[in-house]
Amino acid sequence: MEWTKVTVATVNEAVEAIANILTENGAEGIQIEDAADYEHLKAKPDQIIDLDSIPHLEDGAAVSAFFPETVFIPEKLPLIEQRVAQLTGFGLAIGSGKVTLAQVADDDWATAWKKYYQPTRLTRFLTVVPSWTDYQPTDEREALIRMDPGMAFGTGTHPTTHLSVQMLEMVLRGGESLIDVGTGSGVLSIAAAHLGVNDIRAYDVDQVAVDAAKENFALNPVTAGIDAHPNDLLNGITTKADVIVANILAEIIVPLIPQAKALLHDNGHLLLAGIIADKEALVRETLAANDFVVQEALHMGDWVALITRQKTDDD
Amino acid sequence: MAKKVANIVKLQIPAGKATPAPPVGPALGQAGINIMGFTKDFNARTADQAGLLIPVVITVYEDRSFDFVTKTPPAAVLLKKAAGVEKGSGEPNTKKVATVTKAQVQEIAETKMQDLNAADVEAAMRMVEGTARSMGFTVEG
Repeated sequence: MEWTKVTVATVNEAVEAIANILTENGAEGIQIEDAADYEHLKAKPDQIIDLDSIPHLEDGAAVSAFFPETVFIPEKLPLIEQRVAQLTGFGLAIGSGKVTLAQVADDDWATAWKKYYQPTRLTRFLTVVPSWTDYQPTDEREALIRMDPGMAFGTGTHPTTHLSVQMLEMVLRGGESLIDVGTGSGVLSIAAAHLGVNDIRAYDVDQVAVDAAKENFALNPVTAGIDAHPNDLLNGITTKADVIVANILAEIIVPLIPQAKALLHDNGHLLLAGIIADKEALVRETLAANDFVVQEALHMGDWVALITRQKTDDD
Repeated sequence: MAKKVANIVKLQIPAGKATPAPPVGPALGQAGINIMGFTKDFNARTADQAGLLIPVVITVYEDRSFDFVTKTPPAAVLLKKAAGVEKGSGEPNTKKVATVTKAQVQEIAETKMQDLNAADVEAAMRMVEGTARSMGFTVEG
């Protein structure tokens, strides 16, 4: 189906009125671009905002509506133009008030998002693959992590995921038990299963994440039967593990460290990722205070990952 | 982990009834969001507001994950509710269809102030009042 996109160029003051004009003329939904939204944009604690890399209007605003081909636009257009022009008489600044049309085909967007999800080789052995592709391993050693990107998680190809999977490859030998804290999409648990871990427990404080992890576990034969559970870090967990992996924020890793200390078997490893470079010192201090030693630090861009273990008499 | 924002998409769509059709599809598809993932979650979270148009701001991250925040209904929707009418006038210059008080305009302006990016309550009131008049509402008081 073809759609007609009707866009009104305006300024912040008239956005609400124009959105209403379009809605009352049959638009089922509205898209608003407003330069004013970016003037005082503040990052939330877990966000990094760089305005230069976010597409946005430098000034003014644009209000758009889409009409299906069953709507006769030549009839609607003069009405919309007239109503927009009238707004100055109601005390609203409208900017140029120019109305433009564009044709949009279903094909342009229905599959557009999928192009962002391509099979990505994370390490020598592991490749993340979107669930709808029929990608096949290129050699017998390549193992696939099938993922269905959901709301809370993207492609599983973030630098911190790369680093986490690298750490798992370096530490795991097969047969270990592992706790995945903040499992998110479940990507690290699936990687760990491929690398021979036979006892995996995945936790996340967010139920959306727990559901996403369960769905992704079901997509991968190697994690069939593994479950994910809601849990705040390691609160209330008493069963020890050989490896604890956490790809979360530095601020959340800090309270996790003393919990992990109590839950690691002798010679166990705590693998930490999601640490932005300027928080590395904070994490290292907390590790030292809890008798952990850093065996190896991995870097990718601004991200740091740490392979750690408990201090022994030999250290 | 902290995630870098790649895009911010602002829509007004019917609560509980978002579909992959426009404006959701084109806006989110180009931004790289899993469209079905969004509609499923949006509908679940807004089902109890069915019938209302809901503004939603979707933040897309570099890894194409996203989150979204729903806002209070648009000023026009709140004005119709305050005036007790279903629709605004098709000819607002000549045909007045409802009346709202200045106090109601102020209340809506205060509710919506942050969403409107207004500098102060007076600026927000001007926007709400102008929107009311553009719908064929008389503003009294």
